[in-house]
Amino acid sequence: MKRSHLALLTALLVGAAPLLSACGVIRGDDEDSRGAVTTGVTREPCPLAVDKNKGCIYLGTVSDLTQGPFAAQAVPITNAQKAFWQRVNRAGGIGGKYEVDVQAYVRDNKYNPEVHNQVYQEIKNNVLGLAQTLGSPTTAAIINDLKANSVVAAPASWTSGWEFEDVIVETGANYCIESMNAVDYAVETYKPKSVMAVHYAGDYGADAAAGAKVAAERNGLEFTAVETPQGATEQGRAITEITKNKPDLVILTTGPADAAAIVGQAAAAKFSGRFIGTGPTWNPALLDSPAAPALKALYEQSAPGRAWGADTPGHRAMREALGDVEPNDGYTSGWAWSYPLKAALEKMVAGGDISRKGLLAAVKSLTTVDYEGMLPPEAGNYAGDPNAATFRQTVINKPDDAAPTGVTEVKGFYTGPTAQSYTMDGPCYEKL
Amino acid sequence: MKALLESLIRGLGNGSVYALLALGFVIVYKATRVISFAQPSFMIGGAVAVSYLAEVTGFYLAMVLAALLVAAVALGIERVAIRPMVGRPVFVVAIITLGIDVVVRVVVNGFIGLDVRQVGDPWGLSLVEIGGLAVQQRWLAMLAAAALLVGLLFAFFRYTRYGLAMRAAALDQETALAQGVSVGTVFALSWAFAGGLAAIAGTFVGTGQGVDQLTWIIALKALPAIIVGGLDSLGGAVAGGLIVGVVESLVQSYQSDLAPWLGQNFAIVTPYVVMLLVLLVRPYGLFGTREVERV
Repeated sequence: MKRSHLALLTALLVGAAPLLSACGVIRGDDEDSRGAVTTGVTREPCPLAVDKNKGCIYLGTVSDLTQGPFAAQAVPITNAQKAFWQRVNRAGGIGGKYEVDVQAYVRDNKYNPEVHNQVYQEIKNNVLGLAQTLGSPTTAAIINDLKANSVVAAPASWTSGWEFEDVIVETGANYCIESMNAVDYAVETYKPKSVMAVHYAGDYGADAAAGAKVAAERNGLEFTAVETPQGATEQGRAITEITKNKPDLVILTTGPADAAAIVGQAAAAKFSGRFIGTGPTWNPALLDSPAAPALKALYEQSAPGRAWGADTPGHRAMREALGDVEPNDGYTSGWAWSYPLKAALEKMVAGGDISRKGLLAAVKSLTTVDYEGMLPPEAGNYAGDPNAATFRQTVINKPDDAAPTGVTEVKGFYTGPTAQSYTMDGPCYEKL
Repeated sequence: MKALLESLIRGLGNGSVYALLALGFVIVYKATRVISFAQPSFMIGGAVAVSYLAEVTGFYLAMVLAALLVAAVALGIERVAIRPMVGRPVFVVAIITLGIDVVVRVVVNGFIGLDVRQVGDPWGLSLVEIGGLAVQQRWLAMLAAAALLVGLLFAFFRYTRYGLAMRAAALDQETALAQGVSVGTVFALSWAFAGGLAAIAGTFVGTGQGVDQLTWIIALKALPAIIVGGLDSLGGAVAGGLIVGVVESLVQSYQSDLAPWLGQNFAIVTPYVVMLLVLLVRPYGLFGTREVERV
């Protein structure tokens, strides 16, 4: 290169440097340019601030937003959380000093653990914590990173494994406890002698099946487990096992379409036992399906919380904030899951240690959370050991054409004797 | 015996849906030498279109309209995204069809929404007694619809000018072109047929149980079916689909009793096991054309 060219290039680089730096291209430090307090917290207001004088706490969302199997639930969950934090901001924010942004760092995991980790890595240096991390296997892909960096996250899943992770702020009884309560409820109500768990593989289905097994053993019931794949046309074997073995009670842990296929076709084959499905087995559109008569006759839903139409201050606030949307309990879950993070953020700001470690410390000091009646306050206990802190109450619903999400409560928050006495000493799905 | 026959009919019902899907794959393959991975999106698109149209027109007319609509969409996609790729490696075109599948499914998912959508079929989960067998009406409807469509399709290829053109182009594109056959039209028609057949298959998948955002996965069952039958054989596609459906259903019903050591849900991999076994004996499928390569 000629000397004159070298000089020109040097001049260009020197001249461009301040310009690039001003644009943040060279520094690459978004936080500093926004007046960072700590990772994911700025003195500058949120992009959609209600009060421009308040700083901003950024929370990320990694959810199944387009093509994964849980997109139908993930979208309302995410929208409910946006509405939840907008309401918090309008009510004065966190400690009167900060507002919360959950819209700047929303990423799609496509329900793929690798993608989940990839998009989490993209946003993790810009957020204080995660308002939502959807899925058990996906969250498992980032759990070590969350723990290493003290990143607090609200999970969109109810596996019992979360009871043993400090950084995970789960809300509601896990699938394992839920199925224990479902079996105990059935024992009280229908006096079954045999139980079959029809479940997906993994820490959704296996967690619930393990809970059903524990409850069946405690009640002296005959127990069998039938693992079934996803897909309504794949349920032939599960239906055959049910109609052949004729259990008195079937605990279902599948998606809604598969649950309808199993209940509807088993009933068509003259099966008359009872079905209780975990929360995700229900979808209000099932009441319009050919399986509706069978569902109304034989099916009930166990759920970690009250449905959309419940009359509590939290439910009313949610319905008001979301406005004219098609009722869906994905909204209810997303809204309810946000209360513990709100409580922890308030405690962190009040304590003065505004940092990831400060937030984690705040979480670990929570013994109750005000869910505005959506769940009992003790559902927000993150302070004790896992066995003591595990929330053990479940709601039982039944199909109802008149209810907004197609189910009404037949038994309010309930702890069966099995869940009451069970020692939570490890994730249930490892014990099936 | 009764359970065996019921399982057999269930398998034939599902198998006839796989056969319709497999026919779409084979028609596109014969015309273009490309396996179109866009079939799942056409399948779910057809079912969702029926779920909307049936409220207005009733189920049967909705199914016809949806098949025509999806055929038109498939034809348009072929013209815009596939035709410009003529002459490119078939692998590249196959990857493009994968992209088309994802794009169409994302759009269709928007129409599915959050709930399971019902196709409004008249059968539901109703049973009919035939010789003491309790058979779901929809299995019989699937079989009848597949038989009718396969008959019409074979008549089209045998007796119409366009059918002849498609057969000629499938045999030798350059010679067909020299004889005045519009190969471009053949490409377009093959995509339209594949789209229409997939739409009808999707509608039958939705009978009795509805469709949701995961239903598209069923279309992948047609892949082992076309390998079993032979990639370039229409009759093979029908046979492959029925074989996959029946074997799958029998394994679902009897594997836990006869071969529990295979573990739970062996039925999922059954189509692929059948495919491997057939490939070991007949590498070009049961009815596929044996290729002769000169060295």
